Amino acid sequence: MSNIFSSIKRTAALTSAAVAIALLATGCSGSAGATTNTDAGSASAEDKRGGEVVYLDAELSRSTQLQASGTWQDSAYIENIADRLVYRDPETQEIKPWIAESWTVSEDGLTYEFKIRDGVTFSNGQVLDAGAVKRNLDWQIKGDTDKGIPANNWFPKVKSVTADDAAGTVTVKLGHPSTAFLAILSFWRSALVADATIEAPIETQQQLSGVIGSGPFVVESEKYGEEIVLTRREGYAWAPEGLANQGEAYLDKVTVVPVTEDSVRLGSLRSGEADFIRYIQPSEEKTLAEAGFQIVARQGVGNANVWDLKQAAPFLDDVKVRQALQHGIDRQQIIDDLYTGNWSAATSIITPGSVGYKDVSELFAYDPEESNRLLDEAGWTGRDADGYRTKDGEQLHVLTYVDVYDSTAKPLFQLVQWQLKQIGVNLDIKETDYANYASVYTDDSVGALRNGWPEADTTRLSIGYHSAGSNSFKFQAADKELDGLLEDQLTASTVEEREKTIGEIQERIVEQAYALPIINDTQVFGLAPTVHDLTFSSEARPHFYETWTEKK
Amino acid sequence: MSRTQFLLRRIGQSLLVIALTYVFVFYVLFLLPGDPIESRIVNPQNPIPAEQAAAILAYYNLDRNGLEQFWISVTRLFQGDLGFSLGTGRPVAELIRDGFAETLTLAGLALVFALAFAVAIAATAVLAPWRWARGLADKLPVVALATPGFLVGLVLLQVFAYQLSWFSSIRDEGFKSLILPALTLAVGVSAPIAQVLIQGLRQAYGEPFVTVLRAKGVPESRIFGGHALKNASIPALTLFGLTVGELLAGSVIAEAVFNRSGLGFVTEQAVRAQDGPVVQAVVMLVAIIFTLVNLLTDLLYPVIDKRIAAKTLGSGTGSRTPAADLDTRQEVLTP
Repeated sequence: MSNIFSSIKRTAALTSAAVAIALLATGCSGSAGATTNTDAGSASAEDKRGGEVVYLDAELSRSTQLQASGTWQDSAYIENIADRLVYRDPETQEIKPWIAESWTVSEDGLTYEFKIRDGVTFSNGQVLDAGAVKRNLDWQIKGDTDKGIPANNWFPKVKSVTADDAAGTVTVKLGHPSTAFLAILSFWRSALVADATIEAPIETQQQLSGVIGSGPFVVESEKYGEEIVLTRREGYAWAPEGLANQGEAYLDKVTVVPVTEDSVRLGSLRSGEADFIRYIQPSEEKTLAEAGFQIVARQGVGNANVWDLKQAAPFLDDVKVRQALQHGIDRQQIIDDLYTGNWSAATSIITPGSVGYKDVSELFAYDPEESNRLLDEAGWTGRDADGYRTKDGEQLHVLTYVDVYDSTAKPLFQLVQWQLKQIGVNLDIKETDYANYASVYTDDSVGALRNGWPEADTTRLSIGYHSAGSNSFKFQAADKELDGLLEDQLTASTVEEREKTIGEIQERIVEQAYALPIINDTQVFGLAPTVHDLTFSSEARPHFYETWTEKK
Repeated sequence: MSRTQFLLRRIGQSLLVIALTYVFVFYVLFLLPGDPIESRIVNPQNPIPAEQAAAILAYYNLDRNGLEQFWISVTRLFQGDLGFSLGTGRPVAELIRDGFAETLTLAGLALVFALAFAVAIAATAVLAPWRWARGLADKLPVVALATPGFLVGLVLLQVFAYQLSWFSSIRDEGFKSLILPALTLAVGVSAPIAQVLIQGLRQAYGEPFVTVLRAKGVPESRIFGGHALKNASIPALTLFGLTVGELLAGSVIAEAVFNRSGLGFVTEQAVRAQDGPVVQAVVMLVAIIFTLVNLLTDLLYPVIDKRIAAKTLGSGTGSRTPAADLDTRQEVLTP
């Protein structure tokens, strides 16, 4: 017996030694990584060039088919590998030249003529000329139904697209004026792709490696669920006007690794395996910053994070009930208790910087007394054993599902639940998964659902809220006034006219409490001290083009 | 019944099980609400208008009734076409092939680790000279069973990847990348094997042959390795089917924590999204594995234990095997 046990003893001793070393190391390295950031301002273009970074995304690539996809992470990858006709300056929101070096708009607002930049090629070598732009626009406008590809439903009605290759121009004739057209062309969904992508089956287009663009990065390889490797596009020389870098990207390579587990992402950044990560729990921001990491937060322009109220659900066809909910939510408390200074309470259904944005927060100020008055007026005067209001023996309850697209959502829902309890409303929170969230949309017992993401234009208000569109408010009888405004914003002939209409849409939706504005969403990134100049699109998608690293 | 008949009957039964599983899974998936295409159509970030949604449904044959969809699916299957993932557009065959290869290597190493753990724990529990060590080893499998796999994984990552930097938490380092996930997987899998081994070893050491061997001066290491462990292993071997299941189920967790895109990961993603073609293929693969394992076990039993051979082959076929003869003798000898 001694033979075996001497070996077992040896192994045990070795094991305990290993554990002791491991624990010692764990205890000792708590303060690692507290280095200061270098002065990024003095670096020259040559200093910036070269190096590779590892970026940990919080989600997996699902589908990159341009017209049919909608996931944030996929849009962020597309932004880095494909260019658009025009560029929207993220600081000024001004539309600037990109692949279209200039354009003219006819006086009636119906004809747009784009002059296409010379010398641009897709990464497969195909020339990006007027003809290629026309094929892209036709494809975006019509979709490809034989392949299950829908049209890009953001586009205004287009009568014709013609290309003059000799002159290098593309002319688009619209069916109605659209001051949103250029913003829509600047959005990632309108990315220009090579013929090979347009002609490929939808299954190929769903892979990032199947999307061939003319952007500053090229997809070198993609392994489903493990990594996407982007490499610098050699010869890239057609950056949007106004950017400091007009040549190739500084980074040689960006490896995107999807890591859904929060602690793994954070641990990998802290241990130096990753150079930057997306999405940090608000509670982790401070400790990470104290450890010397950079916290970069960006609020995208577009729709605010709002809760649509569904009028098909019990009690929500009563405007007083809806308004009571509107005044029963304390947005500032949500920010103070759950988020950080990088986040902010919503001040409208769209975010500051959006075309036509109007601060209408006074119309939905937190006022529980007003909520109680409205509910009393609506006849919800009884109380049940739990303190919830009742009418004719029925409890005032609203069913909602936790948003599956936002990993910070659950505590927010629970806090709103607590706030509404103070005015006697039972917010019944259920959870489901991504696959079944679609059926929640068609379930008429569901009263409130999250909506609103940063997007290039307010066009989606019309797509989502028009009673003949997606009818997200589940109007039982159409609100003609709102429908009229939603139609007008798409066809307004001047920006001023459109801004006025969008202002009225915001007032109408908030006053009638069709939707409850909650917060302005923020994308939060954690960066190693060696990484600089991670920039963003208007809609807060990260751009790696001007990013550089000190690690070469 | 001849050996061939027996074999043919068992293979026939296995094929029937696989076919019935296919029909059942198809039916369940058809009944379940929600799929990636519906999610795409009503995606609040990009809602698709009704007439275009109809074209999308038609492309995926989702506008047809269940029977037609089933027919299309079966026809494609017989043409060797597993179709594409509805959610990601990836070829199902490719997803399964890559995922299976990855999981097989992981599960293989995990099995080696699990067996090593189990033998070490069982030996300690039965043979350690200290009472506390025996008690500790005896309780260890229960603790291992009760510890969630992701917790084991995260602790291993914390210590060996983040603090000691011996391993990368995200980069593919070939064989090295397999060690931590295989250890994670092995902890849960080793527990039931260790429990059975402990019992088996206790029983074996209680048998008179051990005393005889000791009296003959056989070294303890040979008694353990050559006799006691061998005897104790037979009940543990019957756990093989269960272990395969544990390995497959555990790989979902291990692969999620260690960012590996094996079969567990593919399954998790497909089930989450209710991605019909992928779920169908994964369930079929698992059904085939289990059927094969069971078939192999059934075919191996007669080889290992001659008594079973005689029973399954029956008597009076006119071609009695030596094994059957042996069986009769044993029955006579042991009333």
